[in-house]
Amino acid sequence: MPWKSGYTISDEIGLSDDEVVWPHGMRCAFSVTVALSTATLSEGITARDLSGDDAELCFGAGLDALLGVLDRFDIRATFAVPAVIAAVESDTVRRLADAGHEIAALGFRHEDPAELPPEVEQVRLEATIQAIQNATGSVPTGWFGLPRQADQYATGSVSPNTVDLLLEAGFDYLGNGMADDAPHYWVTDPSRPKSLLTMPYSYHSDDQFFLQFPPFALRAGSGIEHPEVLSSNWRTEFSAQYERGRMFTMTLHPHLIGVLHRITTLEDFFAFVKEKDDVWIATAAQCAKHWHEQYPPETHLRLEPSTWKAYPDDLG
Amino acid sequence: MDRRLILKLIASGGALTAVPSSAWAQAYGKEPQRATHHPTPGSKGSLPLSTEESLMAEIEDLRAATQARRKHYCHLDQPKWPDGVKMAVNFTVDVDTVLSRRANDEPPMQLAKGEFGGRVGSWRMLELFERHGVVGTFFTPGRTVDLYPTVLREIVDQGHELADHMWEHYVPSDPVAARDHMLRTRDALTDVAGRPPVGTRSNFSQDLVLEMGYIYNSHGFSAPLPNMMMSGGRELLNLPVHLAIDDAMYFNFGWLGSGPAAQRLSEQETVLDIWWQAFLQQYKAGGYLNIALHPFLVGHAARIAMLDELINRMKSLPGVWFASSAEVANHCLALPNQAFVCTEE
Repeated sequence: MPWKSGYTISDEIGLSDDEVVWPHGMRCAFSVTVALSTATLSEGITARDLSGDDAELCFGAGLDALLGVLDRFDIRATFAVPAVIAAVESDTVRRLADAGHEIAALGFRHEDPAELPPEVEQVRLEATIQAIQNATGSVPTGWFGLPRQADQYATGSVSPNTVDLLLEAGFDYLGNGMADDAPHYWVTDPSRPKSLLTMPYSYHSDDQFFLQFPPFALRAGSGIEHPEVLSSNWRTEFSAQYERGRMFTMTLHPHLIGVLHRITTLEDFFAFVKEKDDVWIATAAQCAKHWHEQYPPETHLRLEPSTWKAYPDDLG
Repeated sequence: MDRRLILKLIASGGALTAVPSSAWAQAYGKEPQRATHHPTPGSKGSLPLSTEESLMAEIEDLRAATQARRKHYCHLDQPKWPDGVKMAVNFTVDVDTVLSRRANDEPPMQLAKGEFGGRVGSWRMLELFERHGVVGTFFTPGRTVDLYPTVLREIVDQGHELADHMWEHYVPSDPVAARDHMLRTRDALTDVAGRPPVGTRSNFSQDLVLEMGYIYNSHGFSAPLPNMMMSGGRELLNLPVHLAIDDAMYFNFGWLGSGPAAQRLSEQETVLDIWWQAFLQQYKAGGYLNIALHPFLVGHAARIAMLDELINRMKSLPGVWFASSAEVANHCLALPNQAFVCTEE
């Protein structure tokens, strides 16, 4: 594009529907992200977050129910796991990996890294890779910065240095970005160019914003239960993405989706998806591998020189 | 307390000037201002007990505000659309992309969320409009030409209107800078379109809007039909746009810094139903509907499908004119003078 750092992270025009193809002649990609985290605030998971009912649900009955549904529909998901969870729930995380699910990183403790100095962020990032490797025997290839319920913006968070640090550490992809609804490249240096593949995320298909939201932790009144809105968003977005032959992603939390009527909502949706026989159900890592092969940045990242003119009252 | 001081306090508390509500002011780029607390006159801890005289003063104060407000608006009685037209539908697209988020100093992933509008959403809106033969108005911050020039050229090539939406999606408080921003945007959009814009969606002063040669603004909603806004003896047409017919009110989590407790996460069906009902109400009245859309929100696949259905329904009824803001404005401005009814002095 006419590149402008501080304003843009990717190229000027997204890949059109016609250009997008998936393996085995499949029409559309479908990917489930599970955030294995009870963090609510930007500091990430605290001792309090691992002490109460939500944590008991998240790593107990809620997770078991969710795994049961995933299994029944033969879906391998991407579990985004904070380092602290990989360390304190290592048996659970190993069990997920053994069942064929992808284990990706969700920060050291699912914290917002925006204010971290780069050297501190790097130490935490390396410790995260190590903790996940200790639990599963493999290094994660994907990194997530998913939003928490109390975040000001339901977009997820990175620091100004995160993407460069992920590239240096050898990550294949960033798990959640919003500049496209298909995978796209997050550019940190347009001159070389240097970029990291980024998977699409949307808050309108993330369970945490519809189920007893806003949560009690926000002291903003009682939460409202809207499974029908969540379900409708899943169905209409999936149908529209299927028509376009693009990609559908959804984000789940075991302690939220894994109980009562919510499980039924999820089952009904998966059954709806399974009515189509040309949907490629894949983990984020599988999608990333396909994208790197099919649309490498060398040929598919289309950056143009900046046309930006400076004015004295620019935002800086 | 001194009586004159009391009356002065009452007067300052009740002054009503013809400015848009704070939500609109921020949406259309006015610098945010702190809300001031106005104690109820006579309430405990603020002012002494009410007297007959002070209560009369309260009424007179509000009467003055009402009179001042009435002078600000001249309303259209009957739009008298062109032959065969029952109602005008005016799609207005705010091509905000990343600029409003950058101006508000929002974090990187919020910018990326806006970027969706430039890279993906705007193209989908063009496809949709082309498929339906619909012409719309794209309110565009001038800086957008340095970010998404290709889609802006395509907007023009497909016959849509490009109009002013500030320079970087805010109105500087310094009048010299404000004028500079308007000129820059006018130049930038003229370069793309080959002709200057004729309208704006912003809170620039009415004098400045008129100085640019613009024939309309499209902000705020004082009546369902286009109306004249009077300021300093000069008039400017407003094409009213209602918050309930704005996709941001349903789909934009974090709108203007609203916290999670004020989340905006409606499903498509609900919005489709609300907008369809609004359309039918205006269709029966032979009126006007301005539908405000943001490509970074409504450009998502499920919402494009929703708009597709909405347009299909509208097209199933006879006499719907899908017009740009400039077309609506030109029609209204060609109406005889008496079409706009002003309050008698």
